[in-house]
Amino acid sequence: MSAGGGRQVAFVPGATYGGPIEDRTTGAPLVELRGVHKAFGDNVVLRDIDLSIATGEAIVIAGPSGSGKSTMLRCINGLEEVNSGSVLFEGAPVDPGSKAIRLMRADIGMVFQQFNLFPHKSVLDNIVLAPVKVKGIEPDVARARARELLETVGIPEKADASPADLSGGQQQRVAIARALAMDPKLMLFVEPTSALDPEMIREVLDVMRELARGGMTMAVVTHEMGFAREVCDRIVFIDEGVIVEQGPPDEFFKAAKSPRAREFVDKIIHH
Amino acid sequence: MSALFDVLTEHLDEFGGGLWVTLRLVMGAFVIAIVVGTVVAALRIAPSVWLRRLGGIYVESFRNIPLLVLLTMAYAGLRRAGVPIGQWTAGIGALGLYTAAYVAEVLRSGVFAVSKGQIEASLSLGFSYAQTLRRIVLPQAFRTVIPPLGSITIAMIKNSAIIGVSLIALNDILKSARIVQAETFKTEEAFLWAAVGYLLITVTATIAFRFLERRYVISR
Repeated sequence: MSAGGGRQVAFVPGATYGGPIEDRTTGAPLVELRGVHKAFGDNVVLRDIDLSIATGEAIVIAGPSGSGKSTMLRCINGLEEVNSGSVLFEGAPVDPGSKAIRLMRADIGMVFQQFNLFPHKSVLDNIVLAPVKVKGIEPDVARARARELLETVGIPEKADASPADLSGGQQQRVAIARALAMDPKLMLFVEPTSALDPEMIREVLDVMRELARGGMTMAVVTHEMGFAREVCDRIVFIDEGVIVEQGPPDEFFKAAKSPRAREFVDKIIHH
Repeated sequence: MSALFDVLTEHLDEFGGGLWVTLRLVMGAFVIAIVVGTVVAALRIAPSVWLRRLGGIYVESFRNIPLLVLLTMAYAGLRRAGVPIGQWTAGIGALGLYTAAYVAEVLRSGVFAVSKGQIEASLSLGFSYAQTLRRIVLPQAFRTVIPPLGSITIAMIKNSAIIGVSLIALNDILKSARIVQAETFKTEEAFLWAAVGYLLITVTATIAFRFLERRYVISR
């Protein structure tokens, strides 16, 4: 809550925001976008995006609706194909048409605005399915791990429930557990609380906060600026498909450099 | 009234045999319809244009040719072409492939009812497109289309009556009724019992589909 309350775990000393941040293990960023350009027909969504995410870093991507935030995350795991430029995960190109994409996606968890739990499977089966079928983990081992994860997200009693019987907040926590069950190296959150009633937003943010504190590398698109201020290492502000500025949350909220970012902060804080 | 039951009791063998023949025909055709229908539905939503066209050609061919013509082609046609196809294979095959076209169309509509988010969630977990189709999309599509699949199945059961009167001439319910009618001249009674025979099967199918619907239809 306090100023400078960003987490200290896995914080990279001497890192400079904006440029590539050194990862202590491989010396390369976990994710790198270079000159990424993306358009849907005539509608240009991302223009010349350069962005690096270091291992252990938690970033929040903020900006007005339709600014390209979600599309950017979807390019990272290849749900969208970029028109030009390149997306690298662990130094290798993310190419939706390649065979390697499946292995990359298995290492990149994604949490969606609409939860997207599989309605024909129980909560436990939702979590177990991919570890067993994609990674070949023993079903018993996967189930035990799934129960642990349900414990972590605070709903162990819902293992045998159907997703339809859960509240939105519970469904989103299951979705997080489902992504974590793959032991991802990176978690992408696409507006994870935007479809939730206000009283359920907190329970989801709490889980995400714990995750960040545990050192998970995360990129979060959200309008929850309280979460951004408290939890993330860096805010990336996007407007009209361009990264306008990025920096530590305190700096961003107190003294954003660009007029557009200042305007955005003013609107959010005084809304 | 007793005359009505006399026809049944005196010709129980014919009617019972007919019921059994029809049952085997529709069960065989049902399996073919579901399996082939699923494959064709998968073709019709495949990423490749050529696979989609192939699926389209299947549906248009089998849906747009009358069943009686298909049955004749499958039996007499193939035999004349030198294929020694049996009555059962021709009957079950033609009825199954014909019904598969309808199953494919209904399933395809069920696939469209599965949200794009489901596919994205599956892909994002590392599943391939084929795995996504098999584990996520088709199971949900099936659950969505249980009610129309029930209608198709009932139509198929009734359509099976054409097999007995076609060149294939298996002794199904309707054919047995015609035999009884020819022997006894009790036309109304014979066909009434044929109707009861079909009702037995269709009502059972209806109950089975109601059960599946209650058990599996997904609430979104």
